Amino acid sequence: MADELDVLAPIPGRVLPLTEVPDPVFAGAMVGPGVAVDPPRERVRAVAPVDGRIVKLHPHAFVVVTSSGRGVLVHLGIDTVQLQGEGFRLLAAEGDEVAAGTPLVEWDTAAVEAGGRSPVSPVIALDAPPEAIGDPVATGQVEAGARLFTWR
Amino acid sequence: MASKAEQIVAALGGSDNIVEIEPCITRLRTEVHDASLVDEAALKAAGAHGVLKAGNVIQVVVGPEADTIASDIEDLA
Repeated sequence: MADELDVLAPIPGRVLPLTEVPDPVFAGAMVGPGVAVDPPRERVRAVAPVDGRIVKLHPHAFVVVTSSGRGVLVHLGIDTVQLQGEGFRLLAAEGDEVAAGTPLVEWDTAAVEAGGRSPVSPVIALDAPPEAIGDPVATGQVEAGARLFTWR
Repeated sequence: MASKAEQIVAALGGSDNIVEIEPCITRLRTEVHDASLVDEAALKAAGAHGVLKAGNVIQVVVGPEADTIASDIEDLA
């Protein structure tokens, strides 16, 4: 796969390396390389990171697969499956074809944190080799929809 | 050839050993009666990217097909 795929930040916030994610699966890049975004504590809209089909859409996580078969996982917060959707509102449906930047989920990051969970959100290039996402990786603060990393 | 779901159930010590299986988007969170019956190598052979053990809670990292595998496992029961 020689083509380059720009993966956009699904949420605004501060870019962190996966190693700082408080979850061993993501920190260890077990499902793929990526970066994490630490969002502001407010109601945040998470957007599609790439053009593609929403193959999985949970309140707390989604996967968008591109026409070339690359899947990007966005996991909104850590251990948020336990919230069973509380504080999350779906803005799209599983199976939808979406353009990068389309809002998919609105969530209350402050409520997630108040419940004792981290709203830090990993953005993962599923099953990619570690070297597939190199520079340029955004650092510092990003807006939703800004380029986060390039998947080679 | 056993299905992936069957292999995972066997590697978790069989269906009698499994208290609960809950899929998250990348993993199966399972609770077992006896963690010593869990065969980590067999879980990896069944396709797990990784296995995390904390007491009787075993997380099997299978990637985004976790939901499908969990429902396949439900169907076996």
